Amino acid sequence: MRVAITQVDGVPRRGNRRADGLRHIGVIQGERGVSGEDDVMFTTILGSCVAACLFDPDAQVGGINHFLLAEPQPGQRVDTATAHRYGVHAMELLINDMLRLGARRDRLRAHLYGGANILAGMRSIGSDNGAFATRFLAQEHIPLILSDLGGRSARRVDFRPALGRSRARLVVDAVVAASPSPRPATPAVVSGELDLF
Amino acid sequence: MTRTIMTVDDSPSMRALLQHALAGEGYRVASAEDGVDALERIDAASPDLVITDINMPRMDGFELIEAVRGHSRWNNVPILVLSTEFSDDKKQRARRAGATGWIVKPFDPVKLSAAIRRVLV
Repeated sequence: MRVAITQVDGVPRRGNRRADGLRHIGVIQGERGVSGEDDVMFTTILGSCVAACLFDPDAQVGGINHFLLAEPQPGQRVDTATAHRYGVHAMELLINDMLRLGARRDRLRAHLYGGANILAGMRSIGSDNGAFATRFLAQEHIPLILSDLGGRSARRVDFRPALGRSRARLVVDAVVAASPSPRPATPAVVSGELDLF
Repeated sequence: MTRTIMTVDDSPSMRALLQHALAGEGYRVASAEDGVDALERIDAASPDLVITDINMPRMDGFELIEAVRGHSRWNNVPILVLSTEFSDDKKQRARRAGATGWIVKPFDPVKLSAAIRRVLV
């Protein structure tokens, strides 16, 4: 059963209603948004980052994330305040949030956007991110319906989660942050440590 | 003697990640995709340790811990929760259900291995 809730990082969010009648909600680097409401549109701007738009057409629940890097480097310290930057964690958080809103893992469908290699001379972070997301969906048996990855331009992505509709436009002049955007403070719980009862 | 670890997670990616990390440390790994699957496999797997996720379909991690603790053969097996969840409420619920410990994802294979050595008796 669909739950008429919209959240960003687990916190209810209303968004701003625009002339098109939709409530627009921005999703920045490291965030994830989920919703079961028809009038919600998530928007994000991507450079080398990747956004996965997942939706369950039966439950009419969808969600989007925006991750910066595929996976932590070996030995790299990661805590709950930074883990959202990584695809492997961002995907799991997004799916878990959607399941709480009534989606089912075996009904999920996916669109992927981003993964551009914008800065010449830098290692192919965008390609790595796109490859990770594609591989993750295959492992999870989540059908990839639409893939718009790579290239050298930033993208603006709009996603209507309850309908599973997305679109992307290339954005030539977008300022795409090279470092994580400011993000509301979250408790920094060090991951990976054993909390023995 | 090769020790056996049962991993319970509804994500194939996470199961594969755990399989790779634990097998590399010399453990035999038995995987299950949720609590129901774990209970069906636990006798055959005969685990020395169970590592379980919390958010899973059919039977979640809390229910699995309670079921294992109610099982005459497995009521003493160590159970670690490995989850993206980190709230104190959920940790306390797992503790009351009988969990041995809690590790917040994402996990570092080296730290996970150290945690396993602490709880394996």
